[in-house]
Amino acid sequence: MKIRLSQADGRPLYVQIMDAVRSGLVRGSLRPEDPLPSVRDLSSSLRVNPRTVSQAYAELERDGVVQVRHGKGTFVAPGVRPEEKERPRLAREVARRALADASRNGLALADLMVALREVEGGGARGDGRKEDGR
Amino acid sequence: MTDMVTAALPIDLGSGPFAVTTQGLVRRFGSVRALDGLDLQVPEGAVYVLVGPNGAGKSTLIRTLMGLVRYEAGTVNVLGRNPADLGAEVRAGIGYVPEDYRAGYPWMTVGRLLEHQAVYHPSWDAEYARRLRARYEIDPGRRCHTLSKGQSRRVQLVLALAHRPPLLLLDEPTDGLDHVVRDETLSILSEHLADSTTTVVISTHRVYEVEPLVDHVGVLAAGRLLGQLPRHELHGSLLRYWADVPEGWRGPKELGGRVVQRSGAARAIEWTVWGDRDAVTRGLSQAGAAVREVAPLSVDEAAVALLSGKEAS
Repeated sequence: MKIRLSQADGRPLYVQIMDAVRSGLVRGSLRPEDPLPSVRDLSSSLRVNPRTVSQAYAELERDGVVQVRHGKGTFVAPGVRPEEKERPRLAREVARRALADASRNGLALADLMVALREVEGGGARGDGRKEDGR
Repeated sequence: MTDMVTAALPIDLGSGPFAVTTQGLVRRFGSVRALDGLDLQVPEGAVYVLVGPNGAGKSTLIRTLMGLVRYEAGTVNVLGRNPADLGAEVRAGIGYVPEDYRAGYPWMTVGRLLEHQAVYHPSWDAEYARRLRARYEIDPGRRCHTLSKGQSRRVQLVLALAHRPPLLLLDEPTDGLDHVVRDETLSILSEHLADSTTTVVISTHRVYEVEPLVDHVGVLAAGRLLGQLPRHELHGSLLRYWADVPEGWRGPKELGGRVVQRSGAARAIEWTVWGDRDAVTRGLSQAGAAVREVAPLSVDEAAVALLSGKEAS
């Protein structure tokens, strides 16, 4: 699991870690029953306070995304259905950021919708990560 | 065009439990008050960063907590004791990286220095010390006076961490380290926090480096705290608002927050405000401003905003 944190992101670090796990599920790089890095290993590689990672894992457990198995570690929950829950949730988060960016530039939702269709229509070439089924 | 407004953030962290407190701490150098009635509160288990300009009193404060300097007024409590009375006893429970980077005695080898320290601290973890020494590529045969600043800093970090003390006082811990070793040190500190029960106080000018490790922030200027609060509260309530405003806009009478810093051009403002995000946004909007963006400040940016506000007063 590769996570990049950004202090410029503006969202708390634990939220960024939660979204990285969700994004892994949506992309398929994380699957049900997969182990997540230990709190110690992830905090060490991200150079963050271990409590930040613990908080992210605890919130993800509350959301039913992961399971903490005592003495064994943290795993992606067996029943997790990324298409039904994580995908729309992540999309809303991306939408929120896009809207905030638009608002900062003085753009309205309508401007953004038009531009999204235009860019998607003309700018999808060469992008190998086109989403399947859409 | 920028004008500043003095404002202090909260400095009371409540009832504890605290690993370290001072109350009304005063330390004078001649007629200068290096510490001017300081009320420090470091919660147990916190990673507390002290930020502030040169001469703000950060090192003096840390040395006072170590019982290395006397003070004229106030009280100091470190791990339940007063370091002025029980200096050696208090120091044994502290891992200390001093501002001064000279480690040990000049003629002593690093290996001998580590053994010396192991005897002094009953809780010395020899295996951990060996691993840290290997990660930092420290040669135990070197004599202390031949160490570069960076090598010496690494030795000091091993000395501070290897007895897994309940309290770490780190005065500019990454000073003199190159990029790679600095990064390695942050990783070592993350692991140390995962493996040990400890409270950490870090004084640094490179706040951005340690910011992801830190959960409490104290901003110090002229021997006083301008703010002392959990980092998430700082990020949640000290926010920068960018807004478009009509020509000649005066701002709301009641904002629902306290302006720390104002700047901006004729029709676009950039205000830094301590207060509830929704209330402040509403206040600005009702006064005719179109709020374009609201964003938290990094600890660095927050310190700059507070300190420039202070200097203008």
